[in-house]
Amino acid sequence: MSEQSSAATPQSNLAKVFASGAFAVTGELGPPKGADPEVIREKAKLLKGFVDAVNITDNQTAVVRMSSIAAAALSHQAGVEPIVQMTCRDRNRLAIEADLLGAWALGLRNLLCLSGDHQTFGNHKDSKNVWDIDSIQLVKMMEDMRSKGIFINGEELEGEPPDFFLGAVENPFADPLHYRPFRVAKKVRAGAKFLQTQCIYNMDKFKDFMSKLGDMGVLDDIHIMAGLSPLKGPGMAKYMRDMVPGMDVPDEVVERMTGAGQGIEDKAERSKAWRAEGIKYCIEQIQEVREIPGVRGVHVMAIEWEEAVKPIVEGAGLLPRPQAIGSAASA
Amino acid sequence: MIVAEQKPLDEIMQSVSEDKNVLVLGCGTCVTVCFAGGEKEAEILAASMRMRSEMSDGGCTVDHLTIQRQCEWEYLDSAADAIKGADKVVSLACGIGAQAIIERFPEAQMVPGLNTRFYGLPTKQGVWEERCGGCGDCVLEYTDGICPVSRCSKSLLNGPCGGSHDGLCEVSDEMECAWHLIVERMEKLGHLDRLEEMHEPKNWSAARDGGPGKIVREDLLREPPGEVDEGEEGTGS
Amino acid sequence: MSEFKPGIVAFCCHHCAYGAADLAGAMRLAYPDSIRVVRLPCTGKLDVAHVLSAFEHGADGVMVAG
Repeated sequence: MSEQSSAATPQSNLAKVFASGAFAVTGELGPPKGADPEVIREKAKLLKGFVDAVNITDNQTAVVRMSSIAAAALSHQAGVEPIVQMTCRDRNRLAIEADLLGAWALGLRNLLCLSGDHQTFGNHKDSKNVWDIDSIQLVKMMEDMRSKGIFINGEELEGEPPDFFLGAVENPFADPLHYRPFRVAKKVRAGAKFLQTQCIYNMDKFKDFMSKLGDMGVLDDIHIMAGLSPLKGPGMAKYMRDMVPGMDVPDEVVERMTGAGQGIEDKAERSKAWRAEGIKYCIEQIQEVREIPGVRGVHVMAIEWEEAVKPIVEGAGLLPRPQAIGSAASA
Repeated sequence: MIVAEQKPLDEIMQSVSEDKNVLVLGCGTCVTVCFAGGEKEAEILAASMRMRSEMSDGGCTVDHLTIQRQCEWEYLDSAADAIKGADKVVSLACGIGAQAIIERFPEAQMVPGLNTRFYGLPTKQGVWEERCGGCGDCVLEYTDGICPVSRCSKSLLNGPCGGSHDGLCEVSDEMECAWHLIVERMEKLGHLDRLEEMHEPKNWSAARDGGPGKIVREDLLREPPGEVDEGEEGTGS
Repeated sequence: MSEFKPGIVAFCCHHCAYGAADLAGAMRLAYPDSIRVVRLPCTGKLDVAHVLSAFEHGADGVMVAG
């Protein structure tokens, strides 16, 4: 893809995996609602070796957590390559630039640019929001910093500019539906090199989305990663269907999860059966998305269920992962 | 227009608890048409306050008066006696009118009776919706007449976020997604290609972010009559 | 408390309820003297301020008839 910085600077492992042509796998590591670094190290242990990189969420759903950059640095030290998530909700352009200079200095190489959930979803509903820039402007800002060595105000920065491997997100199921592929194209033009999607449960709609991206001719310029989130049970499926804006969970998915626990009286056993089904379904989905032209990887969001990543990735035949090059220890 | 809502009676009573003579001052402009602080609301609030006072210590007299506009000296002056005669003025104007009272009459004591909410439009009887954010750098030309600064919960400039669903905003099913409306309208007008190019980061310095706003129109400036230099010809009417 | 006789202000429409009150008088039907009738051209004329004013002036209850 893009020219990367000098050989002396460790590069993004995720970028290398894509460059090698391998089908990439990323996971998710949610920082704790506290200051204990052990939480990150424990989660990293569950993910190490099974994913190429992990998203470190930035106050996800507007609930306060350990900072994304700090948690990413801990994950990096623990040998799991992080993808720093940066939303536009909590910081203005000044703060974002400053924090990302710091992130690069700490050895973090991947950056995922998002708008961010509105703070009314979270636990600081009375707070002020920012949205000085939007996610697309954020991608462009960091692309300009990377390729031209300038800040958003046009001033040059000192020394070697941060050369983040830039990512973006898209929700193929959000309205206006037909506009979504155009938004992806816009993110590509802004400088995004990889793109993770919202959790997919409606495969037909996702295929439509991908074929439109193909028609627009943007698939050569961006690595699309299909977002998948294993279901823990019918309750989670229903919650996603009914409560999460922009999610599309067909009824048959809910029925499938319900069916998996049918006739099992014991609560623990039933939960086990549901989870086994969730993992099985996720593996099937990986196999299905691999067949879709332009899908270059999967982003497995096992929310507070990191243990599920290994069996999913293993079951999908995606192990072992390509060797991490220039990983944590060297930083 | 400026859209406001009346503060709860308890809060207003609390703010005049030390006072004997209270004036409820209504405003005949924006807050009249949004039924928050006009003549009628001033009358009702004054009556409510008198009864509340009667039910407790009974020591408070409350009068009411409504002027055409609290945000202009000339109109405010018509209420000068009433304002000066009150221990406290409960202003039923927006925050601008409320502050104008003490700017014009620095010795007056004023408390707000309204919470000023936004610049909005009555979309139907009893419903007001925000339409302008006063950002000082209007983008309506680019968005075909629908403001994303005030009507998108995130003030995005490059299209809808991932939370848009069924034409509604992720924040509430009571809110329309501004970008959904913009995309629909652009399609209708054949302007959707505008969204292909990135809208540059906005210059927020013309909004509150640049400090308190101030506009000076040199062509309209006139020295107050009393301060014109001696000997200089007046500039006429 | 059993002595309590509530003072009621009755806002009556000229065209119906007020006429009915008149007729009641003509028929020698009695209603409590604690009721004060206020004739309105139409109950549509009634305003919140009038009701508040009645209470402020000591009414225990307000009746709107039209």
